[in-house]
Amino acid sequence: MKSSAATAPLVQYDPSLENLIAQVESLLTADYGLSKRSLALLIIQEDPEIWQLVFQKEPETTQGKIRRLLQSAGRGGERSPLYRIVTARQRLSEALCRQCVRQRAPTLPTLSQQISDLLINPLYGSIFLALLLYFAFYQFVGVFAAGTVVEFLEDTLFGEYLLPPIIRFFQWLIPWSILQDLFVGEYGLITLGVRYALALLLPIVTAFFLVFSLVEDSGYFPRLALLVDRLFKKIGLSGRAVIPMVLGFGCDTMATMVTRILETRRERMIAIFLLALAVPCSAQLGVLMATVSKIPFGIAIWAFFVSLMFLTVGFLSSRILPGEPPRFYLEVVPLRLPRLENVLAKTLSRLQWYLWEVTPLFLLASFLIWLGQLTHIFDLIIAVLSYPVAWIGLPSSLAPVILFGFFRRDYGAAGLLDMVEKGVIGGKDLVVTAIVLTLFVPCIANFLMMVREQGWKTGVLMTVLIFTLAFFTGWVASHLITWTRLIPA
Amino acid sequence: MSEKSLGTNRRRSIGAALAALWGRLWHRPLEIQPAKKIAIVGNPNVGKSLVFNRLTGLYVTVSNYPGTTVEVFRGRTYIGNLLCEIVDTPGLYSLLVSSEEEKVARRLLMDETPDIVVHIVDAKNLERMLPLTLQLIEAGFRVVLTLNMMDEAQRLGLEVNAVTLSAHLGVPVVEVVATDGRGIPTLRRVLYEILSSDSASRSV
Repeated sequence: MKSSAATAPLVQYDPSLENLIAQVESLLTADYGLSKRSLALLIIQEDPEIWQLVFQKEPETTQGKIRRLLQSAGRGGERSPLYRIVTARQRLSEALCRQCVRQRAPTLPTLSQQISDLLINPLYGSIFLALLLYFAFYQFVGVFAAGTVVEFLEDTLFGEYLLPPIIRFFQWLIPWSILQDLFVGEYGLITLGVRYALALLLPIVTAFFLVFSLVEDSGYFPRLALLVDRLFKKIGLSGRAVIPMVLGFGCDTMATMVTRILETRRERMIAIFLLALAVPCSAQLGVLMATVSKIPFGIAIWAFFVSLMFLTVGFLSSRILPGEPPRFYLEVVPLRLPRLENVLAKTLSRLQWYLWEVTPLFLLASFLIWLGQLTHIFDLIIAVLSYPVAWIGLPSSLAPVILFGFFRRDYGAAGLLDMVEKGVIGGKDLVVTAIVLTLFVPCIANFLMMVREQGWKTGVLMTVLIFTLAFFTGWVASHLITWTRLIPA
Repeated sequence: MSEKSLGTNRRRSIGAALAALWGRLWHRPLEIQPAKKIAIVGNPNVGKSLVFNRLTGLYVTVSNYPGTTVEVFRGRTYIGNLLCEIVDTPGLYSLLVSSEEEKVARRLLMDETPDIVVHIVDAKNLERMLPLTLQLIEAGFRVVLTLNMMDEAQRLGLEVNAVTLSAHLGVPVVEVVATDGRGIPTLRRVLYEILSSDSASRSV
């Protein structure tokens, strides 16, 4: 160890504790990467991992000796060692702060504090959330990026300028029409893969990440989590069921891994299931929202069904898993004015990550579809898929979109947006398909993470259940929309 | 949990390429190993990743949201003339760990015995965060206490006497604003002073 404890230790504990520390220290012989004093304290606080280390590194008798020491020390009937240790440190910290920190002005609630209070107020907070969703997400991401920009890129840039010469070039370069199809066919690498990534997804995701990073850096999200938590409690949904949603906002795959902080296997299973079913991650949320923004009230109907699904499953799981949240720290960070340079850097890094993630997959999908068309497996899959598609009242031309959705939710959404641009499907079909896609397993990475965390059997079973639920919800939505005539056909 | 290595920043990797070329030419490998290791620790959402970015010139996602770093990130940078490995760890509340992320952070401290532990704290909540500083010093690490978010603390009317605090704790105390980089040069200088005096005393 670097600095030996030759000088007096910084934190002095009470005499009986110091005595115990000295005795435990004297029993330790191995090197742990921490000072003996620190290690002794952790042992006294009965840290399981440290106990295991001691078991591995010290002679067999040591553990028994330590245990006897702790037992005899514990007989005093005083407060627990853990409590005494924490208190001693806390007292010293307080003393240090009294000496070194001065409060100049009395703390009046600052403007940022007042805004913060408004944001977590159920009424004003909800109004702000609605305004934020409407202007930043619906108008900017949905109408501007997914409408104006995508139309320009897809119809004008790709449709009129880029694709025709590229197609002619490949037709000139490759004489065989089968190979031509691989690059510039209906599902070609360039005509579908590259076009989806660059003309459809790039503008939407850029706009979305820009807004998302801006909102994130302002410190709004922890307040949103608090607000949602309050709203959920009002309708009887509480505790652990809220956690997965907050985590999955960023990335479902990551959140699936982070469910390890939940304590029981059952809790983790439900959290992972909810994440894969009803929590769209940030990137996919942007694309899906942008797609349904194409028709009036589309976003409202879509949001209604997706939240209904989430609430139902969440409500049921909170019935199965009642109880207070475990250690769910959510520090409410101060509201800050986001710095443009940080927001841009973050947006760029997310964009880079996103494009790296989706482009290879799109190209692979194009290749697989080409292979499938050659072997007629593709037609077979489409034929099989058109049964559930027809069952939920959708035209069979949407079967490929559903197939895309198996790869990734947003890949399916891109296909959907493409069909809307071409004007081949109606408003009801758009919203119903978007609902079904949203409830799909987010992406292959997420599926693999489910398998890694829960094993093959559970992972596959969950996936099958999720797809079934997605189709079922689509069926309900489709019939409800037709029955209520919410969207003119 | 997995680890990510982000490499050295670009200017230095040209140096590494030249070193490799030198090795080719003279059949003498000149592998550059980081001389020192610096770990960045602290509670969630105090700006660890931002300080990491500022020190290494690399980019790991930073957000104004607690618990974003669940993995260990590594990067290399020169502190003065010393090539250092900087390690960004997940949030740690106390050495007595309870969550998986905290375990990752503690295991890293124990297994890799960094030359310096940079403890980042939120200057506004010093009292709540000092217990970890005390524990790190107690554990025998060479600690540099870094008070981040000094701008926000000042706006709240908080004045921290870093000199007195440093004298009481017996470790250097540096004030920084990681969002705009204020104080980072001072932090680098403090790190360099410790590291260089360390190598001098070792060679004796």
